[in-house]
Amino acid sequence: MTELAQPRGRFREIARLKLADGHTQAALDLATGRLMNGRLAAWEGLGDVEELRERAHEARMRVIDDLDRHVAEFSAALVARGGKPYVARTAEEARAYVVDVCRRTGATLAAKSKSMVSEEIGLNEALESAGVTPVETDLGEYILQLAGEHPVHIVAPAIEKTAEDVAELLGKVEGREVPADLESLTRAARRQLRETFLQAEVGITGANFGVCETGSVCLVTNEGNARLVSSLPRVHVAVMGMERLVATLADLSVCLRLLARSATGQKLSTYTTLVTGPRRPGESDGPEELHVVILDNGRSELVGGRHKEMLACIRCGARLNVCPVYRKTGGAAYGPVYSGPMGAVLAPLLAGLEQAPALPHASSLCGACTEACPVKIPLHELLLELRADLVERGVASRWERLAMTLWSLAWSRPLGYRVSTSLARLGQPLAGLVGPGRAWGAGRALPPLARRRYRDR
Amino acid sequence: MPSTVQLFATCLGDLVFPDAVVDAASLLREAGFEVEFPAAQVCCGQPAFNSGHRRAARRVARTFVRAFSRDAPIVTPSGSCATMAARFLPELVGCEPYAVWELSAFLDAQGAEPPRLNAGRRLAYHDSCHMLRELEIADPPRRLLGRSGAELVPLPRPDLCCGFGGTFSVRQPEVSSAMADDKLAGAADADALVTADPGCLMHLRGRAERAGSPVRVVHLATALARGVS
Repeated sequence: MTELAQPRGRFREIARLKLADGHTQAALDLATGRLMNGRLAAWEGLGDVEELRERAHEARMRVIDDLDRHVAEFSAALVARGGKPYVARTAEEARAYVVDVCRRTGATLAAKSKSMVSEEIGLNEALESAGVTPVETDLGEYILQLAGEHPVHIVAPAIEKTAEDVAELLGKVEGREVPADLESLTRAARRQLRETFLQAEVGITGANFGVCETGSVCLVTNEGNARLVSSLPRVHVAVMGMERLVATLADLSVCLRLLARSATGQKLSTYTTLVTGPRRPGESDGPEELHVVILDNGRSELVGGRHKEMLACIRCGARLNVCPVYRKTGGAAYGPVYSGPMGAVLAPLLAGLEQAPALPHASSLCGACTEACPVKIPLHELLLELRADLVERGVASRWERLAMTLWSLAWSRPLGYRVSTSLARLGQPLAGLVGPGRAWGAGRALPPLARRRYRDR
Repeated sequence: MPSTVQLFATCLGDLVFPDAVVDAASLLREAGFEVEFPAAQVCCGQPAFNSGHRRAARRVARTFVRAFSRDAPIVTPSGSCATMAARFLPELVGCEPYAVWELSAFLDAQGAEPPRLNAGRRLAYHDSCHMLRELEIADPPRRLLGRSGAELVPLPRPDLCCGFGGTFSVRQPEVSSAMADDKLAGAADADALVTADPGCLMHLRGRAERAGSPVRVVHLATALARGVS
């Protein structure tokens, strides 16, 4: 079982719930629309955005096409700065390493800043069972943690929550009622999170990028929480997907110019932090130890393959805001970790098609994601490739494969086409009773087949 | 001697919307072309291709290769079938590309003047995704509708898919229908919602009928050849 699994039927089940929830629908429409417009305006300010996208794509693919070497370079540079790299082959290895660091530190409290990889490996659960309390410090993630839910939008994790929801959750921690106005909410959250920053023995962050030439970990936030998490606790652990490397600081700047613009419409996020090694002698702050967990978990298998471009992703979330399907379903339908078209590609790639067989089909293949992707990942083409993989590897249902084969045999000759469509016309009154006709007919009138085909006129 | 075009009706055109194909043919004739209908045509294989069934898709797509020649342009009243035939089919079956045109792009490129049957009509145009993003055809259908006298009513989010998406429409029928509802709601002020894709047409019209939406959904060829009444 993996955190990325999404069994057949789950997508549709969750989608139905979300469609029936008027508040969620309004929140999704508002948040995605605002973020999309922000990106479009910010891209316009870039001048030649196409050229920059090409450069970012090239910079990312250069690393991915030679991933082993870049991981080695990054690790060597990190060691030279006094940090400790650890390449985790699996989610389990990654969890075990982080838990071990916490144990050796004697930690009971870990402050976390937003990390999708930590969701991917189920880190919070592992820490809890080892007696370490993880506290999310990204405000949206903190709210979701209090609610016992998973993030549904990579940039705006709690978009489905109202001020009243948040007031109730924060009020429980405060032990008193918190008014649902922004100032009171912020004050309560700030008080609660400050305690965590100051008391945590270990700080856990993700990594937006790792820079090979310097061994730096780049952290991008708007709340500054990653900076506190990576500098106040005695030990800092960054968990990073193996593919999140850029070769040079120059490449980093290309990616950073696109990241915040694509995510929120900002030129830069409020805080862009480069962590280069732990505290050195004579420095007044920073952690005593810096560990970087470099997570493989299926990534290296994609190198050199048909789906390798997926590894170029910089997790900006732009695709979510343009996806007409995500806009209706929200993130949870895609599973607990990665959502939208990127999740629909990445989850089956990392976890295996059998683990998430419906996700490649959770798209109308409209291509809006490909158009919005700042690093030019052909997401809808990758979805199409995965659909072909579902068929080739026999994950698609036997019924579906049989139906397509029979259909294609009939329609491989004009005569077969004529006969089969004449029969279909006779059988038309029954079409709404079974299979695809029934699914169609649930929401739409079935299209009547014309009395005379065009070719018969 | 007028030049000839080969008309690709598409399966949906042939079976469900033959009137739209008749309208497409008459627009082409009006524009001065001789319209040939290759009788051996069946389907481009797109339903199987987009679901990942490449062998099945190849089997059906070969009918296209057998039916059409490279001697005259192929014109089709379907944005997504034009995309399939122009972009994906050659690689799928391993053949040289064909000159495939979506109807409005062809008519517009030929400088066709549609009759002014839509004077005083307020029409909304729905971009089908393949046509917009793969073929990058956005202006020709709008220009033609404008030349037919219509006033174009902008949709609030022209970038959003209507929810058809081939088998997506039956794999995720609830999401698919909800997407259609948004598209129909955006066209509430128009006299009709016009689309150049039989897939979108079937989906949007079916949804409007089932959900009791007053929005009329019309194929572009029909809107141009007969006007929206």
